[in-house]
Amino acid sequence: MMTRFNQLPTLKIDPTKKVIFNYKGKTYSGVEGDTIASALYANGVRIYARSLKYHRPRGLYSLDGECSNTMMEVDGIPNVRTENTLLKQGMTVKEQNVKGSAEKDMLGFLDKLDWAMPAGFYYKMMHKPARIWPIAMKQIRKTAGLGEISPDFEMPGKFDEIFPRTDVVVIGGGPAGMTAALAAAEKGLRVIIMESRPWLGGFFDYRTAEYKDGVALYQRGQDLAQQVEANENIRVLKHTAMVGAYSNCLVTGFQTGTDKDAFNERYVEIRANSVIVATGCIERPLIFDNNERPGVMQVGCALRMARNYGILPGENGIFSVGHDLGLEAAIDLFDMGMKIGCVADVREDGQDPELVLALAKRNILLLKGWVATEAHGKKQVNKVSMSSIDGMITRDFDCDVLVASAGLTPVTGPLTMAQIKLRHDDFTGFFVADEMPENTFSAGRILGINNALSIECSGTLAGIKAAKACGACDAAEVEAAEAAMKALPGPVRGSKLVTAPVKGRKSFICFDEDTTIKSVKQTIDSGFDVPELVKRYSSAGLGPGQSGIPGHNLPLYVAKYQALAGVPVKPTTVRAPIVPTFIATYAGTNHTMHKRTPIHNLQVADKGILRKIGVWERVRYFSEDYSCKKEIENVRNNVGMLDGSTLGKFRLHGPDALKALQRIYVSDMSKLKPGRVKYSAMCNDDGCVIDDGVVVMLGENDYYITTSTGRAGQTVEWFRYHTRYDGWDFSMVNITDSMGVINLSGPNARKVFEKITDEDVSNEAFPYSGFKEMLFKDVIPAKVMRLGFVGELSYEFHVASSYMTSLWQLLKEAGAEFGIQNFGVEAQNVLRMEKCHIILGQESEQRTNLLDVGLGFLWDRKKADAKTVGAVALRQAENDPSRFKLVGFKMENNGRAPRDGALVVDSKVRGYIATARDSFSLNEAVGMALVESELAKVGTRLEIYEDECGDERIYGKVVPMPFYDPDGTRMKS
Amino acid sequence: MFSKQKPMWGEKTQLKSSYDAVIIGGGLHGLATAYYLAKEHGITDVAIIEKNYIGFGGAGRNTAIVRANQRTQYNVPLYNEALKLWPILTKELDYNLMFNNCGNLNLMHSEAAMKAARMTIATAQFHGVESHLIDAKEAKELVPALNISEDITFPIHGAMFHPPGGIVRHDAVVWGLARGANKYGVEIHQQTEATGIKTQNGKVTAVETSRGTINTKQVLISAGGYSAALIYGMLGIKLPISVLTIQAMVTQPLKPLLNHVVSSGAYHCYANQTLKGEVATGAHMDQWPNYTTQNTAHYIKHQAEALSEFLPCLRGVKFMRIWGGLADMTPDMAPIMDGNDHVEGFYMDCGWGYFGFKSCSAVGKYMAQFMAEKECPEILKPFNYRRYEKHQLMGETAALVNYTPDN
Amino acid sequence: MALTITCPICGKRNGYEFRYGGEDKGPRPEEAGLTPEAWCDYVHMNKCVAGVQKEWWFHKDGCGSWFTIHRDTTTNLEVKGPEADK
Ligand SMILES: Cc1cc2nc3c(=O)[nH]c(=O)nc-3n(C[C@H](O)[C@H](O)[C@H](O)COP(=O)(O)OP(=O)(O)OC[C@H]3O[C@@H](n4cnc5c(N)ncnc54)[C@H](O)[C@@H]3O)c2cc1C
Ligand SMILES: [Zn+2]
Repeated sequence: MMTRFNQLPTLKIDPTKKVIFNYKGKTYSGVEGDTIASALYANGVRIYARSLKYHRPRGLYSLDGECSNTMMEVDGIPNVRTENTLLKQGMTVKEQNVKGSAEKDMLGFLDKLDWAMPAGFYYKMMHKPARIWPIAMKQIRKTAGLGEISPDFEMPGKFDEIFPRTDVVVIGGGPAGMTAALAAAEKGLRVIIMESRPWLGGFFDYRTAEYKDGVALYQRGQDLAQQVEANENIRVLKHTAMVGAYSNCLVTGFQTGTDKDAFNERYVEIRANSVIVATGCIERPLIFDNNERPGVMQVGCALRMARNYGILPGENGIFSVGHDLGLEAAIDLFDMGMKIGCVADVREDGQDPELVLALAKRNILLLKGWVATEAHGKKQVNKVSMSSIDGMITRDFDCDVLVASAGLTPVTGPLTMAQIKLRHDDFTGFFVADEMPENTFSAGRILGINNALSIECSGTLAGIKAAKACGACDAAEVEAAEAAMKALPGPVRGSKLVTAPVKGRKSFICFDEDTTIKSVKQTIDSGFDVPELVKRYSSAGLGPGQSGIPGHNLPLYVAKYQALAGVPVKPTTVRAPIVPTFIATYAGTNHTMHKRTPIHNLQVADKGILRKIGVWERVRYFSEDYSCKKEIENVRNNVGMLDGSTLGKFRLHGPDALKALQRIYVSDMSKLKPGRVKYSAMCNDDGCVIDDGVVVMLGENDYYITTSTGRAGQTVEWFRYHTRYDGWDFSMVNITDSMGVINLSGPNARKVFEKITDEDVSNEAFPYSGFKEMLFKDVIPAKVMRLGFVGELSYEFHVASSYMTSLWQLLKEAGAEFGIQNFGVEAQNVLRMEKCHIILGQESEQRTNLLDVGLGFLWDRKKADAKTVGAVALRQAENDPSRFKLVGFKMENNGRAPRDGALVVDSKVRGYIATARDSFSLNEAVGMALVESELAKVGTRLEIYEDECGDERIYGKVVPMPFYDPDGTRMKS
Repeated sequence: MFSKQKPMWGEKTQLKSSYDAVIIGGGLHGLATAYYLAKEHGITDVAIIEKNYIGFGGAGRNTAIVRANQRTQYNVPLYNEALKLWPILTKELDYNLMFNNCGNLNLMHSEAAMKAARMTIATAQFHGVESHLIDAKEAKELVPALNISEDITFPIHGAMFHPPGGIVRHDAVVWGLARGANKYGVEIHQQTEATGIKTQNGKVTAVETSRGTINTKQVLISAGGYSAALIYGMLGIKLPISVLTIQAMVTQPLKPLLNHVVSSGAYHCYANQTLKGEVATGAHMDQWPNYTTQNTAHYIKHQAEALSEFLPCLRGVKFMRIWGGLADMTPDMAPIMDGNDHVEGFYMDCGWGYFGFKSCSAVGKYMAQFMAEKECPEILKPFNYRRYEKHQLMGETAALVNYTPDN
Repeated sequence: MALTITCPICGKRNGYEFRYGGEDKGPRPEEAGLTPEAWCDYVHMNKCVAGVQKEWWFHKDGCGSWFTIHRDTTTNLEVKGPEADK
């Protein structure tokens, strides 16, 4: 355990509070505020993982999780980026993808076999001879992948989601983001600021250099953070990584909860009127041989380890950098006790003279125009070779840490994701946006500026522009802010270096996929000449860290390598999520929601077996064996009761209501009579039956309509769609949920009915297809229809949902002496099948129209003026002999029913079984099938092919429909 | 093998002023057709015109699921032949297409779905394609990560298991076919956009491109999601197509977890593990036509919700990348392959929605035959353009056609 | 991408509240003498314009109205007017 600084004003840890955790089976301790990686570093761990392909040792490199170098398994969760995951009491941390340990990995030898694995080698080998491929494939699968997850892993923790609306969303809580938020908030706007680190401050936060008037940058950062937190108009979402930016100012992210929050992580989806992107920069990796050896780390990483976590990353440091921040860090780290052998700067000139002076004062050797070419040391860097950038002069330096960074690279992911075209700017070396989408602005270092005051000013400007976009200030204020910006230093020149002068066999452009400069060259030589294709073939940027490491260097290198062909520098695509995000987090609260009928509880109390059917949860069976024999027999012999509340129910009224009915239904709806129920069907424009149901005329221009359960949600839309050009005057209201339905069926139905009413409900007074509005027990108003879907005497009671329980119990009591029983949807399915009443989707499909399924009798051809939906198609297809027809069939020799979905075949498939059952009522197997019309004649033998039947066939014969009570006496008397 | 690499599909060449045949679109179907034209029919004077780079379209964005358990008898034999071609092409092209015939498991969530599956399975078996109906427990044995409990939105009743299906490496197919076609002399012109087709007396005479006009008597449009717009723009022929963006995504790589492709219609979701270890999952489509290929916040969340339910261990895994491509959907979920109908010498191969990867090998073979013999091969006839006006939608889905591309 | 649609009644809203209802093809054709080809053209055929198109939308999770907008299919953004089809 190394000693840590515990007094720095920039610390993010509380050195007094110990956190105990388990690493590789042993107990370790860190302190509160540590990330897992910083705690491990403090415990002397340097090798965190092995790389994917070559199993090279990997260590701490950036601290913001741009690569997989520090990924480990934590509490059973694979691929956790330990460098920015907070350490928690009792965590169990393991290495992954190693044979042995990261320190001693038995697969480390693979690093020497790189010659055998050139770019795209998978495609060129392992398929000859063919039989080796399956074996090779197994091996590839085993070696690929990083972490491991158990198939029965249960993700612990709580996940939540919020969908806030705001005027302005600011992405990035650095100085530019904070000043932007403050400027917008000052104009009275609601602002949300998201920052991926657990604190505000950005790159001011760990720097001791002077801001102004003796105030250090970190102090200024803290001051701004306080102002932001105190501002009532600003909602601060810290520890919230932005993961997606979309058009129309939609921004998503996820927030990591603190101990005080009720969630571990929560999904955040923000709809704003304006977006400010202030995501700043990360460092562009420096490419040289062994540039990812443990001990090599970026400037921000080295400095933040010391300033935020109190850990001096090494005793003897060497720097190879390309920007002033590198010099500044060297000075600060030197002052904190690091010995610094030399600072190489790839820039020949242009350094801040004060920094140069400060280095000189400390006797730190500054080599301008120099760069690291190779890191030495088997597992950890112990020496580094430096050379002038032309490669002419070289020198070696001993060290235990090499701070390396080629330059800065703006975090443009949010811009690319919001479909903004980026251009490579030669001066800054950045990808910049010339044109921003509506109401989107950027601020801060992303613009290429580096001066602290410029950065803040750019934030203010963006905040004011956003305010203008939201109508909260005028153009003059924008102009004033622009003028202030112009008075300050603008963008700074960026370093141009792409790679150190090396061949590149061990120079890594992408760490996650072990992509070297050499393999990129091979890729381009193979004809993959645009960065997007290079990425695919070489895999650079496709690993867990995505384009974090290679994002900027790859396009630069591809252009450089093809310089003769004049290839421009084109960025590769950045895709969401910008930060890899747990599926649990995206899922958020993930409710499963289903509608229940008004008498759901009664049905459950009666031991109904529930099924989720569409938007509903409802009872399918009241029999445990699913055959429903008792339910069926009781309906046929006594009386049964079904909860039909899921039926679609509508009221249609207004002067043009009839016109609408005529357009939608195939029948002539002008023939509707009061007191009668009309059954009809609606088709789509292909003539296929899209729905069926009944229509009742309640009064003049006033109708009550039912539809099937599945179509209830879309019926209003359907009516309105097909009349959208007509400007007709009608209203349609969906009352599905406010009404319940009870279906009372069976030979004793009338007896039960008579017991609850004094009205005459005899066959004469209330005949088949009759309709009555009634009042039960003086309080329950009901619409009652006499129908017969199951083929028995039956009544359908439609009542307000609130009366459903009462009416149900009333009927149940009344029916007790007749043996009334519940029946469910499956029993109904069998009952109606025996009667050959079809269920849409079960006896019909895309290839069958109204005529094919035997509902042609509903179609009135004489209303062409109505332009009835489907009529044209029906007329045109009417005489086509090649269509499917619905037929009824019985099995030969009293055989069993075929399974639903079995085929009707000869040498070809000629149709299939829609529904078939061994009928208890008929004592034989019957069913309905859709078959080519040649086979539809009564008497035709059907050869039936079931799944898994081998050579065996069963046979049925087409018979007239319906099977049960063909003349309908039971239903109609 | 490891010496200096050469451009896989030839050096960049000048566009000639005429070709025997021109193919618009360097995607799967264009490349496969060119390959078979050259190999099987000796027609090697062929130019593939590609506006970006080969594989830019659906070819490089799909999730490469292959199977042959379609719903109708017109489709099963075509896809079955395509499925059997992967090992053959691997050998012929001498390029590892990385066919992983791990089998597909299609989950069923209701009694009604089980019935529908049984019909599909019977159809497959009738055509000699292996496919079985299994119950939830058996499904769990195959995919231990499955959640077969009752308390999810769509509890699993069983599954359709199709052992010969699986996944193929999509990029390999593109590059392998390109190299294969180029070896026979087919020219591949990238960064070249087709802008028009010239006709005279009802016959094709030339193709206009961003690099000049090419004379030819035969042209195939196989431009994936762009086909319908091109065919209408160039020849005024409308198609029953809606072009939608379809999205897919991958998680961070894992050691082997899923050994089969798992899919669920009710959840609008499928998942499989690539050879690299990522769990690739899709595929939701936004229901409004567009050419953006943009991904949406809505969908990645939806996908997480679905996976949380039926593959709950994935909750501890992270999504790493989402992308979109175009799917040109037809009302009956079956493609349109036709030729010499409106204009002599003009062929189309489009409407492939999200199933144009698994079919490309066999379709390339038959479209090549069609173009070489000028006579539609029997197997392609049911996919003709006129079936919609004849009211003979194919029934590849049972769902009825709505006013919106709703499948 | 985050689609938004402007409903004439409810204003600009999240696109997922709406259902797309097809290219604007005009009123239903007269039935007399309608050929299969003309019927098919009206019912199934699309122009699939890569550019601005006039199209129908339904505010399903809102006021329930059908209305038309112009949208650029290459950006998914609503635009004011038809402009030239690209
Ligand atoms: C996310 C996603 C997942 C999918 N998953 C699967 C799956 O699992 N299984 C499956 O079978 N299918 C899947 N698909 C579908 C499959 O990718 C496509 O059907 C298939 O790519 C179609 O092949 P194609 O050759 O017709 O078109 P594409 O592969 O799209 O190629 C068309 C080419 O035409 C070019 N082009 C366009 N316009 C012009 C022009 N004017 N001039 C020149 N060139 C032009 C384009 O640049 C493109 O390269 C998926 C698709 C997507 C988007
Ligand atoms: Zn509205």
